Amino acid sequence: MIYILEDAINGVLMGSIYGLTALGLTLIFGVLKVINFAHGSLLMVGMYAAYWTIILTGVHPYVALIIVAPVMYLFGYYLQDIVIKPIFKAEKDVREPITVIIVTTGVWYILDNLTLLIFGPTYRNIQDNPLKGKMLEIGEMFISVPKLWGFFTAVITAFAIYCFLQKTRMGRAIRATSLDREAASLMGINQFKVYNVAFGIGTATAGIAAVTLVPFYNIFPSVGVLFDIKGFIIVVLGGLGSIGGAILGGIIIGLIESIAPQFMTATWTEAIVYGLFLVVLFVKPSGLFGVKYDW
Amino acid sequence: MTRKNINTSTFILLGIVAFGLPLVLRSPTYLHIIILLYLYAYLTTSWNLVGGFAGVLPLGHSAFIGIGAYASTILSLQYGISPWIGMIAGGILAAIVGILIGFPTFKMRGAYFALATIAFGEGIRVMVENIDNLGPLNINGPRGLQIPPTNIGFGNYMFAGKEPYYYIILVMLVCVLALTYFISRSKLGYYLNAGGEEPEAAMSLGVNVAQAKLIAMAMSSFLTSLAGTFYAQFTLYIHPKSVMSLDFSFEIAFIALIGGRGSIAGPVLGALLLRPVSDFSRIYFGSTLPGLHLIIFGTVLILVMIFQPRGLQEPLSKFYNKLLDRISGQTPQGEVKHEYS
Repeated sequence: MIYILEDAINGVLMGSIYGLTALGLTLIFGVLKVINFAHGSLLMVGMYAAYWTIILTGVHPYVALIIVAPVMYLFGYYLQDIVIKPIFKAEKDVREPITVIIVTTGVWYILDNLTLLIFGPTYRNIQDNPLKGKMLEIGEMFISVPKLWGFFTAVITAFAIYCFLQKTRMGRAIRATSLDREAASLMGINQFKVYNVAFGIGTATAGIAAVTLVPFYNIFPSVGVLFDIKGFIIVVLGGLGSIGGAILGGIIIGLIESIAPQFMTATWTEAIVYGLFLVVLFVKPSGLFGVKYDW
Repeated sequence: MTRKNINTSTFILLGIVAFGLPLVLRSPTYLHIIILLYLYAYLTTSWNLVGGFAGVLPLGHSAFIGIGAYASTILSLQYGISPWIGMIAGGILAAIVGILIGFPTFKMRGAYFALATIAFGEGIRVMVENIDNLGPLNINGPRGLQIPPTNIGFGNYMFAGKEPYYYIILVMLVCVLALTYFISRSKLGYYLNAGGEEPEAAMSLGVNVAQAKLIAMAMSSFLTSLAGTFYAQFTLYIHPKSVMSLDFSFEIAFIALIGGRGSIAGPVLGALLLRPVSDFSRIYFGSTLPGLHLIIFGTVLILVMIFQPRGLQEPLSKFYNKLLDRISGQTPQGEVKHEYS
């Protein structure tokens, strides 16, 4: 019994990190109405950025946030501004532009393979960092310390984004655009500026998620794909566009992944996750915690 | 010469080149590359029935390739049934699965549909990877199935050289192109087009959009699964990661999109332009510059979507028409030429 509890706690911790990786995805979808297929690749770029920052400066992994988050924000801001904006302008009248999905996939291909070209296929990890392999002992349970850090980071980040969206002027502009982009632009909101900022923030959260992963996860060019598919499932489970839903959806996936292997072969959990995803998609496409929209 | 004559002679010339190629080209490597090119052209054209005409973005088509490959292989390995019959059985199975998956998903809009098809394709792959025996059927999980090359002959869909495979896939490609041509000019084609562009408007005019899309999905999955059998018999070894991978689904969709979705020539054109790029960059730069072909792929994809959202077929067919005008010395139909002196 105690083992299941231990697995459940570690599952919640890992799940909240999954949720953090999906946070940007859900934010970008909420505003741009576009599934960003390149999100996993942005996470991967963030992981490499964090890796090199930590290796070159030798700081504590979480100090790398000071560099990684702003860099990723700018990366996302200009990625949207240069690559994705032209398509939005061309397809202004389309409510849900499929073309943008395709372009983000192009970005995914380029980023992943450019990284492969530059850094090679080697698995990297940061050997001597203060968090690696640390365990917290509570009674007979062992809780992973880097994941605990990740859990708190995920909660703080989600809360910060929620406050930003509710309280600040830019946050209000983002919410207005996500509700009705025409009405928002009539109110004097620069739609494309909002898109850029939303994409930048989404990418920055991917950078934050990358920093939480780097202390205990392997870094390799195609690492994003693992989180990409998982991210899609999480945001649909939690409701596309819902910030809290992303974290809760992540925790659900984390729990399934950690507890289900007690009862079956570990590889079957993936099938369960896909099955649950399809069921939610068919029965309640707005997700478990999502707002009901007309898509 | 009139435009029509030139058009007909171009087609005849293309036909002669396509059917005569193996007589001239003796290198098995190049023949292999061209067979794969035709296979991709066939797959993208089948995909186009749903992805192009019905106006949605299915990203799980490799599941149907897998169904076709596994159905015919299991039937021939365990029951000694000719893969030709297994091919049809796999096709019918794939069509049923296609309808089952299409029924709940076609109600969804763009992004949700794409995600649902991804989850469906990946879900089937994970299941095949985890099942060793399904009832009496031996699926062999992640290890895949090997077809021993012992009974060579037409009845066993197995040949010593590459030429027979070349002709089989060429005939399949010609058939699917002809089918696409007839569908695009049929009632179903117009229904699909209308439903893809403006589902509400089409429905209000009495078009049964959902039914048209389901028919298209059934046909597309049937045809895609036939290619799965071909792939299995051509490579003689299938495993979930090869025939059911997500990359495969994506590649099919993106080749069709770069070529031009919803047109007849577009998907073939896409395969014609992109397959050689990926093959040759893998042959010449595979060890020094890994992943180069995917970087090219992604760049082309983005550039085409920004500058030619209807695909590369549009500028090329314009160019072809201009060329026709130049040769025939005629004005394009429906256009009046103004001449000032």
